[in-house]
Amino acid sequence: MKNKVKRWTSVGLASSAVAALVVGCGQANNAAGTANANGSASTVASSGATVSVAGVRIAKPAHLVNYKDASGTIVWAESFTTGPTASELVSAFEKKYPKIKVKLQVQPSNTDTNRADLTASISGGSSTPDVYMGDVIWPAQFAHSQLAAPLSDYLPTSFWTRFSNGLVAGATYNGKVYAEPLFADTAFLYYRKDLLAKYHLPVPKTWQQLQTDASYIVKHGGAKYGFVWQGADYEGLTCDFDEYLADAGGSVLTNGKASLNTAAAKQALSFMRGLITSGVSPQSVDTFQEPQSENVFTQGNAVFLRNWSYAWSDSQNPTSSKVVGKVGVVPLPTFAGHGSSGYSTVGGWDLYLNPHTKNLAAALQFIDWMTSPQAQEILAANSEMPTIKAVADSPSLAKYSPVFALLPKVKFVSRPAQTPNYPSVSRAIYDNVNAALAGSVSVSQALQNANQQIQQALNGSGSGGL
Amino acid sequence: MSKAMEEHVSFRADHGGASVVRHDVRAGFGMLTPAGIVILAVTIFPILYSVWMSFNNIQLTENGFQFTFNGVQNYADVYSAPLFWHSVWFTVYYSIVTVAIELFLGLLIALAIQNVEKLKSVSIVVMLIPWSLITVISAEMWSYIYNGVYGVLNAILQGMGFIHNSINWTGEPFTAVIALMAADIWKTTPFVVIILLSGLQMIPKDYYEAARIDGANGWQTFWNVTFPQLRGSIAIAGLFRILQAFGIFDLPFVLTQGGPGSTTTSLAMLGEETLFTNLHFGLGAAVAVSTVILILGACVIFLSAFRGMVGEEAQ
Repeated sequence: MKNKVKRWTSVGLASSAVAALVVGCGQANNAAGTANANGSASTVASSGATVSVAGVRIAKPAHLVNYKDASGTIVWAESFTTGPTASELVSAFEKKYPKIKVKLQVQPSNTDTNRADLTASISGGSSTPDVYMGDVIWPAQFAHSQLAAPLSDYLPTSFWTRFSNGLVAGATYNGKVYAEPLFADTAFLYYRKDLLAKYHLPVPKTWQQLQTDASYIVKHGGAKYGFVWQGADYEGLTCDFDEYLADAGGSVLTNGKASLNTAAAKQALSFMRGLITSGVSPQSVDTFQEPQSENVFTQGNAVFLRNWSYAWSDSQNPTSSKVVGKVGVVPLPTFAGHGSSGYSTVGGWDLYLNPHTKNLAAALQFIDWMTSPQAQEILAANSEMPTIKAVADSPSLAKYSPVFALLPKVKFVSRPAQTPNYPSVSRAIYDNVNAALAGSVSVSQALQNANQQIQQALNGSGSGGL
Repeated sequence: MSKAMEEHVSFRADHGGASVVRHDVRAGFGMLTPAGIVILAVTIFPILYSVWMSFNNIQLTENGFQFTFNGVQNYADVYSAPLFWHSVWFTVYYSIVTVAIELFLGLLIALAIQNVEKLKSVSIVVMLIPWSLITVISAEMWSYIYNGVYGVLNAILQGMGFIHNSINWTGEPFTAVIALMAADIWKTTPFVVIILLSGLQMIPKDYYEAARIDGANGWQTFWNVTFPQLRGSIAIAGLFRILQAFGIFDLPFVLTQGGPGSTTTSLAMLGEETLFTNLHFGLGAAVAVSTVILILGACVIFLSAFRGMVGEEAQ
């Protein structure tokens, strides 16, 4: 049935295009053909040549699109969790490009629900949303399932040089860039300045020191809990675990193979479990997602919090926070003997292009503008971390949030999202780590199970797909 | 329907001409057609489509779904995964325990309300509140109750001196299952009560009169009059609940996300995740079809067990 729907969409698309095109040759032709109607597409012969840009090797554009005179209406599916950021961006864009109208489509704030919704409409052949926001861990899966169009086929190679190091690589799958890094995010250690001063303790640089500080303050009645973080059975736990793992010198994959059967993995998970058994973290931290952990901290019940950059502004909001003015923020600690600061997971959101869009030129114009200095400044003013060097490296950035000033000191670790089966890989991690945190399996058993399930997921066939 | 139609037809055949009968039959089918088409489109077709999906390797391509027939490969893959069998086991014991307790509690509450003299309708309304709440909202409410840091339940238990340290209700395997079951029982017992209450009201008053004249006590009256008369209603309530319980999704989705580990991952959650998070449509369809077969099996077992009892009563 889906085939039929798509076929009719193709027919509709072709008849609406001015140029007489051969129908049914696939989406790339359709999209480029549509561009003929709205902009002027010049098809560059694809000789399979690749070029190295922004630290990654990608194929040269196959269907360069000139979108300078684009017009019409596009739909943008946005999933900002706070504030009017999206409408601010849209009105600035429409002011600059009055011939293009952008309709907002607000997506579910839960990432998985959002993905299910986008998958359902795009796999069904829907031409809207033309552009959508998606998690940085989606490119491989969405590219593999044809839910995202290869942006690097339509945009000039030089387009990708504007981004900060490593971001384009994260959006690349099989030599094509499928997503535009819109804003980045990463984790920090938030701490109670007042409590550390009161007990004459230094800001911890190692995890061990954090544990000692925290348990000292809790023991002396300074706070109910020492350290809160995200230990629930979900993607966020994969992020937390990957940080401890990188700090201990390990990684989820080594040469494309699962490598959680290492001493580093054992150190990472033993430490996490130890936070609970030693009473530094509440037992129920294994049910905490971001809001629960943040809430404990902003209510003044914890000394330390691991959270993303937005926690800064939340902690300074007097209507919801009891610790305004008492909070400090630093890069995450690391294990003793592993340098001066720890690893932080790369998060954030990208813009993706619907392969069935009927207005490729306008969509590309919008995508281009969203990483212009103007748009990125708007994002920064809304506490979102810019992705382009021109804004991210500017010293004036610190005025928006003190966490931006810390960025040069942060070491980044990416999740192993270069496989279309990343959701299964991640599930293998967070399910087993969560079970170990709950104490229902031993640390070494959990790692052994995780390792085996990750390998199955990577193989991509059989029960690894569950 | 068809039986009634036959009787109708034979009745008409005795008196009128065959053409009239045929006309009536045609009109009957004509009137059924719109509803039939709707059922075909929204029920039969999706079910058959899912079954077909489960026998294919499905790739999303630029031209939509691409099916490649791969026989029972998806089923072989699903059945070789320990996670699937874990979900089956969780779904089965969760359903049996919750439905059994709901039927028992529901019967008690229905009998109590039946015997309330004043404010009967008020008590029915109050009793129905949990059922009328949207599950996601009531689950969110329960997550506040169970929260290990600022949860109400821990505060009450600590205040009354029953426990010293907070219990991590949804964060440990045993308590997580109990917590889910309690929230489910709280939510759906009113449904059982309503069905049983209507059943109670249909029992003729004379039966109780006769029992009283024969000198039966309350216990005897219950076992010899109320319970046998109520079996049909219990079967219906049980059937509906089994159908729903086996498809449990929203409660663990909000309360535990299937955790800790995969302790509370139900079949429906596993299917949803395989389909919409992992985008493995063939495997997901195989999970869904297996779930349907399991539910059908459970309903057949439940009904045949109950038919035995009802048959007994008919004699």
